[in-house]
Amino acid sequence: MKETPLSNCERRFLLRAIEEKKRLDGRQTYDYRNIKISFGTDYGCCIVELGKTRVLGQVSCELVSPKLNRATEGILFFNLELSQMAAPAFEPGRQSDLLVKLNRLLERCLRNSKCIDTESLCVVAGEKVWQIRVDLHLLNHDGNIIDAASIAAIVALCHFRRPDVSVQGDEVTLYTLEERDPVPLSIHHMPICVSFAFFQQGTYLLVDPNEREERVMDGLLVIAMNKHREICTIQSSGGIMLLKDQVLRCSKIAGVKVAEITELIQKALANDQKVRKEGGKFGFAESIANQRITAFRMEKAPIDTSDVEEKAEEIISEAEPPSEVVSKPVLWTPGTAQIGEGIENSWGDLEDSEKEDEDEGGSDEAIILDSIKMDTGEVSNIGSQDAPIVLSDSEEEEMIILEPDKNPKKIRTQTISATQVKAPSKKPVKKRKKKRAAN
Amino acid sequence: MAEAAAVVAESLAGYRARAARAVLEQVVLPGEELLLPGQEDGEGPGSAGERPLRLNAGARSRGRVVCGPGLRRCGDRLLVTKCGRLRHKEPGSGNGGGVYWVDSQQKRYVPVKGDHVIGIVTAKSGDIFKVDVGGSEPASLSYLSFEGATKRNRPNVQVGDLIYGQFVVANKDMEPEMVCIDSCGRANGMGVIGQDGLLFKVTLGLIRRLLAPDCEILQEVGKLYPLEIVFGMNGRIWVKAKTIQQTLILANVLEACEHMTADQRKQIFSRLAES
Amino acid sequence: MEGVMQTETKIRAESGIESGPRGPGCSLRNFACEQNLLSRPDGSASFLQGDTSVLAGVYGPAEVKVSKEIFNKATLEVTLRPKIGLPGVAEKSRERLIRNTCEAVVLGALHPRTSITVVLQVVSDAGSLLACCLNAACMALVDAGVPMRALFCGVTCALDSDGTLLLDPTAKQEKEARAVLTFALDSVERKLLMSTTKGLYSDAELQQCLAAAQAASQHVFRFYRESLQRRYSKS
Repeated sequence: MKETPLSNCERRFLLRAIEEKKRLDGRQTYDYRNIKISFGTDYGCCIVELGKTRVLGQVSCELVSPKLNRATEGILFFNLELSQMAAPAFEPGRQSDLLVKLNRLLERCLRNSKCIDTESLCVVAGEKVWQIRVDLHLLNHDGNIIDAASIAAIVALCHFRRPDVSVQGDEVTLYTLEERDPVPLSIHHMPICVSFAFFQQGTYLLVDPNEREERVMDGLLVIAMNKHREICTIQSSGGIMLLKDQVLRCSKIAGVKVAEITELIQKALANDQKVRKEGGKFGFAESIANQRITAFRMEKAPIDTSDVEEKAEEIISEAEPPSEVVSKPVLWTPGTAQIGEGIENSWGDLEDSEKEDEDEGGSDEAIILDSIKMDTGEVSNIGSQDAPIVLSDSEEEEMIILEPDKNPKKIRTQTISATQVKAPSKKPVKKRKKKRAAN
Repeated sequence: MAEAAAVVAESLAGYRARAARAVLEQVVLPGEELLLPGQEDGEGPGSAGERPLRLNAGARSRGRVVCGPGLRRCGDRLLVTKCGRLRHKEPGSGNGGGVYWVDSQQKRYVPVKGDHVIGIVTAKSGDIFKVDVGGSEPASLSYLSFEGATKRNRPNVQVGDLIYGQFVVANKDMEPEMVCIDSCGRANGMGVIGQDGLLFKVTLGLIRRLLAPDCEILQEVGKLYPLEIVFGMNGRIWVKAKTIQQTLILANVLEACEHMTADQRKQIFSRLAES
Repeated sequence: MEGVMQTETKIRAESGIESGPRGPGCSLRNFACEQNLLSRPDGSASFLQGDTSVLAGVYGPAEVKVSKEIFNKATLEVTLRPKIGLPGVAEKSRERLIRNTCEAVVLGALHPRTSITVVLQVVSDAGSLLACCLNAACMALVDAGVPMRALFCGVTCALDSDGTLLLDPTAKQEKEARAVLTFALDSVERKLLMSTTKGLYSDAELQQCLAAAQAASQHVFRFYRESLQRRYSKS
C-alpha cells in the first residue's frame, strides 16, 4: 500500500512552524514525546511507546557453539522488523533501505559499543556459548523509530534473565526457572540513541522528530550515548553539512536526554522488579489504561456451567444419525478394488476440518478401538483422488470390518502393515470424512 | 460438523432480532437483525415463517425505508454490518419509514457520490489529475472540471496541491471521479485550496458530527479565532487562522473533540478563550 | 531457531504465573481489550486472555496490488508475526485458518478490487494463542469498520489425560493436554466457522468441546458487546 502523500501546504506549514519554533504537538524544540515502558510476563519482553511510535522488544537465548575466531565470547544478534502494522507502506518480507540502515545502526549502538559483557556469556570455551537474540517489532510508526527501538532493545536486555547453567567436567546442565533463579545479563552501560532532525540546511533542529517532521527534514543526526556521556555511535544522514559546533551542541543535548531516559528506564525496571518480588500483578494486562473508553476488561473469569455441555453433547450424539451409505467395493481386476463413488476430492478447499490431522499420525489403532462402528462408514467414502485404494485381499478386509471382535483387528493391522503402507496414515482423515457425510 | 453445530446453535440462539425503534441511538453490532416498525408488532421474533409476506405489505403502506451505511438488506431482513450507534431520520412527509444508518467511528474512507472531499493531487497525466482521497484508489479529476476552465485556459494545479471537490462518479466497481464545479458550472467554494494552512486527519464520525446542521463544536470554534476551515467527508480538515499558533491550537482542539463529552469540551473552550 | 523456541516456551511455561486463581471446572481467564490504540492502521485492537496477548492492525478497504486484485470481491490477507524469529510453517498455517475465518464473515463483495489486510503480532503466548488471534482480529476488523456478516470469536478447549475439559487453557495446560481443540464461532447462529485440533479425542468429546465452546462464546460475545458499548459511550 502506498503512503498518503504529503501535500504542499502541510510541508510549507511545517517548515514555517519550525521557523517560529512551534511544533504540531505543542512540544518545544528539545522536547521528547512521552515515553512509556511496559513489561510483559516473560523476561526480556517490553513495549516502548514514544508518543504514538511503538516498539515491541523480546530477548531470547540459546546455547550455540561460538564463532571460530572468538571462542570465549557469546553472540549478540539484533533484528528489527518493520511490520506492515506500523505503516501501510512497509511491505512484508522486503528488506528496505530504511530497515537495513536501522538494523545496522542498532548493531553499532548496542553490539559494537560492548555494552553487554559477551565473555560472561561463555559456558564452555570453544564449545558452548549463549546466543542472545533481540527481536524488535515496530508496531506503530509515528517517527523516530531508531530512538524507540534502541530504548526497547536496552530495556529488554536489562529485563532479560537467562536460565542458569553449571558445568561439571564436560557436562553442561541447564536449570529451569524453578530449580534455580535465572541470571540477568551483565550490562556495562546503556547506550541510547537520540535523533536530531535538521531543517533548512541545518538552520533549525528538532529533537525526536515525529513522522510528519521526518518527511520534511533535510538531514538527520543520530547520536548514541550512555549516561556517562560517552558517545557510542554517531551517524549523520541526508547529506547535510554540519558544523563542528552544531555536532557538539547536539552531543550536549543528547547527554541531557540520555540521562533523563536512563533514569526513566531504571525506574521502570525497578518498579517491575518490585512488583514481581511482591507477587503482585504484572504483565501487559496491567498496563492497559483502564480509564480509556476504548479499553475494556472482564475482570474475573466467569465460570461456565460444565454440566450443560455434557447433556447437550449427549443429545447431539444421539440425534446424529449413523452413517447410511455403504457402497460395495468394486473389484476391477483381481487384486484391485475401489471403494466409494469416485467423485472428485474436495478436501483441498475445506480448510476447516482438513488441518486437524497434524498430530494424529500413527493413531489409527486407538481410533479403531474407540469406535468399531465407525469403520463401516469409514470405508465407504474414500474419494478417488485419495487413491483408489489397492487392497491385496479385499474379502478379508470386508469380513474384518463387520466382525466386532478383537482378534481379527489384530490381523488386519498386520495385513495392512504388510501390504499397504499408505492406508494407516489415512485413517484419521477418513474418520472425519465419514462424519461430514453423515450430516 | 458445521451442521451439527448449527443444531445446537438454534437452541442457544443468542441474537434475537430487535425492533429498530427500540435500539435507536444505541450501539449495534455486525450481524444483528433489526425489525422495522411494520414488522415488529403482532408477530414475535420467533415466527420467521410469516415474515416475508408481512414485510412487503407493511413496507408499502408505511412509506419508504432507506437503509444507509452500516446496514444491508438480505431478502426481507435488515442486518447490521458495522458497529456503531443506530441513527434514524424521519422522512419529510408521512409516518414510518425514513433513513436508518449506523454511525461508526471508522478512519478509512470509501468514496460516495455527492460527497465533498479534500484530495491531494498525486499526478498529472494528460487531461486528468490523479487525486488521493484516502480511498482504495485515487480519484480522477479532469482539468476541465474547474470553474472557467477551457482547453486553452487550464487551471493552475501542481502535484501536492489540495483540492476540494465533489464526487460525480463513485461506486464500488468504477474509478471514482471528482469535479470542482456544481451542476451550473460554478465553483461554489470548490477548487484548489490555498497554499497556507494545515491539513490533518480525524475519524469519519467526527467529520459527520462537525458537518451536522447545528453543530455546537463549530460555533464554539468560530468564537475563538477568525478562521478559514474546510471539512472533507474523507476525514480531512484544512484549517487556517491568522497565525501559526492559532492554527495549531485549532487543529489540536478539533482533533481532541473526538473523545470529549460536551462538558469537557466547553471547559477547554472557555479556558482557551480566556488565554 | 528451533532451540530458541524451545527454551522460550520452557521459560514461559514455568513463569506462566496466572493472575488470579482459576476455579474448578470450566472458566475463561480474564479478558481485556483495547481498541484503536495504533494511529496508523485503519483499525487496531489489542486482545488479552490471561497472559496471552495479541495485537492486531487492519487496513482496508485499501488499494490492492494488481497481481492480487479480485474483480468481484476484496482481497483478504492475514499476516501473523511471531515474537521471536521469522514466521515459519506454524504461522503460515495459522494465517490460513484465520484468513478463512475472516473470509467467512467479511462482506468482501461490497468492496471489490480492494484489499483488506489484517496484521497480527503475537505479544505474549501463554496458551490459547490461536483463539486470542481470532478475537484480536475480530475486534480490529470491527474497529476498522469493515462490513461484516457477523462477529466471530475463537475458543480453545483442552482435554487432559483423564478427559476433563478445560476452556481457554494456559500454555502449561495445553502442553499437558491429550487434545487441544480450537473453534471459531460466529455471533449470529453460533455456527462453527473454523476448527482445528491436535491430539486424540473421541467423537463424543468433540461434541462436548464444541458445546462448551459455544457456551464460552456467549461470554466472549458479551465481552465484545460491553467493550464496544463502552467505546461508543461518548458519541
